[in-house]
Amino acid sequence: MTPAVEVRNLTHYYLKGTENQVAAINKINLCVEKGETLGIIGHTGSGKSTLIAHFNGLLKPDEGEVLVDGKNIFESKETLRQSRFKVGLCFQYPEYQLFEETVFRDIAFGPKNMKLPQDEIERRVLTAAGMAGVKKENLNKSPFDLSGGEKRRAAIAGVMSMEPQVLVLDEPAAGLDPAGRRELINMIKNYRTATGCTVIIVSHSMEDIASVADRVCVLNKAEIAMLGTPKEVYSRDEELREMGLNVPEITKIFLTLRKRGLDVPEVFTVDEALAAFRNLTKGGGNQ
Amino acid sequence: MISDISIGQYYTGNSFLHKMDARMKFILVFALLVFVFLCKSFFSLALMVVFTIFAVLVSKVPLKMILKSIKPLFIIILFTAVLNIFYTTGGTTYFEWHSLKLTEKGINTAIFMAVRIIVLVVISSLLTYTTTPTLLTDAIERLLSPLTVFHIKVHTLAMMMTLALRFIPTLVEEIERIMNAQKARGAELETGGLIARSKALIPIFVPLMVSSFRRAYELAFAMTCRCYTGGEGRTRMKQMKLKPRDFIAALFVSALLAGVIVLNHFFKAVI
Repeated sequence: MTPAVEVRNLTHYYLKGTENQVAAINKINLCVEKGETLGIIGHTGSGKSTLIAHFNGLLKPDEGEVLVDGKNIFESKETLRQSRFKVGLCFQYPEYQLFEETVFRDIAFGPKNMKLPQDEIERRVLTAAGMAGVKKENLNKSPFDLSGGEKRRAAIAGVMSMEPQVLVLDEPAAGLDPAGRRELINMIKNYRTATGCTVIIVSHSMEDIASVADRVCVLNKAEIAMLGTPKEVYSRDEELREMGLNVPEITKIFLTLRKRGLDVPEVFTVDEALAAFRNLTKGGGNQ
Repeated sequence: MISDISIGQYYTGNSFLHKMDARMKFILVFALLVFVFLCKSFFSLALMVVFTIFAVLVSKVPLKMILKSIKPLFIIILFTAVLNIFYTTGGTTYFEWHSLKLTEKGINTAIFMAVRIIVLVVISSLLTYTTTPTLLTDAIERLLSPLTVFHIKVHTLAMMMTLALRFIPTLVEEIERIMNAQKARGAELETGGLIARSKALIPIFVPLMVSSFRRAYELAFAMTCRCYTGGEGRTRMKQMKLKPRDFIAALFVSALLAGVIVLNHFFKAVI
């Protein structure tokens, strides 16, 4: 099966041609399979945002190539334009890009640029609003009258309405309170089960990534440091710490318990931990 | 493209010009701009050019940066020169075609205009290259402070200028961010006719306005929280003081003025 997004030998320099030239990402090779959820984590300045800006051709690589659906996106103007719609990119703090008079029209901006017929635009807006959790009564309000969390949902709906094959979210939960965070992560999970789309999430939060991602890609100093299932990545907690990253709190506790000689599995979420503890007590172990 | 703007760019350094008092620099640059227009003979103009080159060398600002400040004005310089060649007449006529006349005076005027503009730009960009924007607005505030007699709020004006300069890079960054976000939603910014293109700016400028106002409110809050009440009774951590080097520079520029006047007097005025 052709991967949803593939990058080969991708390199991008900042301040190219000056003596301050630095590689923001350096010779990256990455395959994102269709239908999977990939989490990208990394320290500030590790190149996460630069990497995802290549997926829809907003940035042009200095070396290497980007393939969406098996096609090089820089082949022609048309392939580049198509990649914008195939890969829906939602930036950090997307609420600051709202501009239309009503929420409905703002969500319709993407589909309108795709030159779709009016009834199709309407269908997509309503579906996307439903999936992103934008309330029906808010659709005719000005986006500037919404609360912060509602604005965020409306902005994410604006990307979902293009019905991209790959949805890329850069720090979707940044600046939200814990309840808002949980709701947002659940919203992404539901979106994925409903559409079966490929989802790429960039985040600092290990907990968020652990609960949604099938695979985790760790970026460090412009290169891929680790790539694997959450289990594989989080078991290397010391290496992660050296990169300025952290495994989820609950995983840390369980890893310590293990070192102390308790027979517990690796867990990434509190729910899993609870189940593990129940198992432990059921098994008669009463340490 | 947007990030190429070099207005108010500062070049870090430790030269004589960097260390000079910003107020004195301001006055001297202003004086020099007037001197450029006093030059009437080739010799006095040459003296100005030599002085400008000398100032550039003293500032230790790389020649590349200086050329960068002239580059955007190249077309204007060329345009003025060409206009002057044909619109000023007098002296020997070299060439005539219908109403177009190429005369000695025309050529001289064109050369003078081009050189004057270049000297003007180089000298004023030296001021911004060697003075931080903060010091520059400080200097403006001090120099304009006599105007408070007429109830003009000089401090407020200077603060506004400082803030405006401070936010240029922030806004440039913001525009790029919003442009990327709208491009990701399929907005086409670089194609289409004039109307299509100006329509395409709406999704950029609405969020930009909104965030600028938000920033302004936040900044006002932050300033109020730190008890900012305007210029009244405000003292400064860094006092500006004139030092011997400032008087040396002033003396030097006065000597230049004398030189220009003498050369103007003894050699034929060509324009």
